[in-house]
Amino acid sequence: MLASLLAGCSTSMTLDPPTIPIPLIDKIQASIGLRIPAEFESFVHEEEVLGRKKWKIDLGRSNAALFTQLFAYMFEEVTVLDADDDASLLALDALIEPSIDAFEFSVPNQTKTEAFAVWIRYRLKVYNSDGTVVANWPVSAYGKSQSSGGKEALRRAAVLAMRDAAALMIMKLDDETGISARSGSASAASVAGPVPQPAATDEE
Amino acid sequence: MTRVSQMTQASKASIVAALILTMSGCVTSRVEDSREGMTGINEGEAVVILAKSYHLGNETEDKYIACIEKSLARGSQGLRVIPNQVFVDSLFPWFEPRTAPTATKGLAKLMDHPGVAEKLAEHGVRYIIWVDGDTERVAGGGSLSCAAGPGGGGCFGFAWWTNDADYEASVWDLEGFESAGTVTADVSGTSFLPALIIPIPLIARPQAAACKGLARQLRAFIVDDPST
Repeated sequence: MLASLLAGCSTSMTLDPPTIPIPLIDKIQASIGLRIPAEFESFVHEEEVLGRKKWKIDLGRSNAALFTQLFAYMFEEVTVLDADDDASLLALDALIEPSIDAFEFSVPNQTKTEAFAVWIRYRLKVYNSDGTVVANWPVSAYGKSQSSGGKEALRRAAVLAMRDAAALMIMKLDDETGISARSGSASAASVAGPVPQPAATDEE
Repeated sequence: MTRVSQMTQASKASIVAALILTMSGCVTSRVEDSREGMTGINEGEAVVILAKSYHLGNETEDKYIACIEKSLARGSQGLRVIPNQVFVDSLFPWFEPRTAPTATKGLAKLMDHPGVAEKLAEHGVRYIIWVDGDTERVAGGGSLSCAAGPGGGGCFGFAWWTNDADYEASVWDLEGFESAGTVTADVSGTSFLPALIIPIPLIARPQAAACKGLARQLRAFIVDDPST
C-alpha cells in the first residue's frame, strides 16, 4: 500500500536509442576514434520537480547510439573505442570523447505552457595523435514536445534535443574543432605515441 | 404501457443528447490573405506544411499542423501534401528547428548542400507553408460548484471562458525561391457551462474552426481560385 503511494509520487522512464535520418552532407575525410566513457553510456538524471514529483530519466545507451550513428554518417572512417582501449595503437586523425555537462528538463506545470522541454549540454573533447586536447567544445541542444501523452512527450522532447545536438554538430563540428585539417596527420607517432587521456569528469 | 414509457424516455434522452451535441459556444472568425505573387499548382506538384521553429519561440501545436495537412488533402480538389515528418527526415538536417531557413533568401543557399535540390525534386514540392501561432485562453470567469451526498448530487452555477486561435501561414514558392504571400486566421470562441443540477457544456472550438478556415483559404490561395 505504502509502496504504491510512493510510486504515485515518482515517474521513471527509459529512453530507447534514437534513430537519426541519413544526413544530406559530404563526409569529412578523416579517420577518427570515438571513445565512449562508461558514465556517458549509462547516464541517469534524477530530479524532484517543485517538491511535487520525482522524475528518474534513464538515457541508457541512447547517447552512445546517437554519437556512433552520427559520426558514422559524418566521417569517412570511425572506430568506436571502449574506455579501456588504447587509441595509440590505431592510426587516427583525431580521437573524440563526448560527455554530458548538464541535463535539464521542464514540465507543463512549471512553465504554464502545454510543453515538455529538455536541454542537454554535451562536451566534445578532441585529442590529437599525441594525446593532447586540441578542442573542447560544449554543444547545447534543446527539444520541446506537446504535453499530450505525459511521459511520452518528455521522451520525445529528449529525442528532439538529441536530434538538435546532431544538427548542430553536423553544421559546426569541423569549424569548432578543425578535424578535417588534421586529416592525414595520423603517423607513426600515433602508433607509438602516448595514450590519450581517459575521460576526465567535467566539473566546470 | 411500460415499454411505451421506456421508449419515450429513451427518445427524450436522445433528443436532449442531440441538442447538447448540436449546441455550441459562440465563435467569431476572420480569415484573410495577402498576396505577393502569382500562384498555381500543376499536377504532380505538392505542398508541405511546417511549424515555424520553436527555437524562435513559436508554439504551434502538432495537432494543428496535422489538421491543416488533413484538411488540405481532403476531397476531390485536395492538394498533394507531403507529411511534414517525412519531409523533414528526408532533408535532415536542413529543416530542423535550429537549421531551417527563416527567410526565402536562405533557399538558394540551401540548394548548395548535396542532395537537397534532388530530394525536393523527388518529392515534387512546389510550396513550403510555414505556420506560426497557437491557441490560448484569453479570458474566463464565473463560478460553478458541485456537491454529492447519500441522496444524490448535482452542480450549480455558471462558468465561461474564451479561447483565441491566432495563426499565420507564410507560403514560399520554390519555383522562384520567393514568398507568395500569407494567409491568416483569427478565431475567437467563448464556451459556456451553465449548471442547474446537471452541467450543460456549450463548447466553442476555435482551433478546429481556425484549421478549417485556414485550410480552405490556403487551398484557394495556392490554386489561385478567384471565386473565393
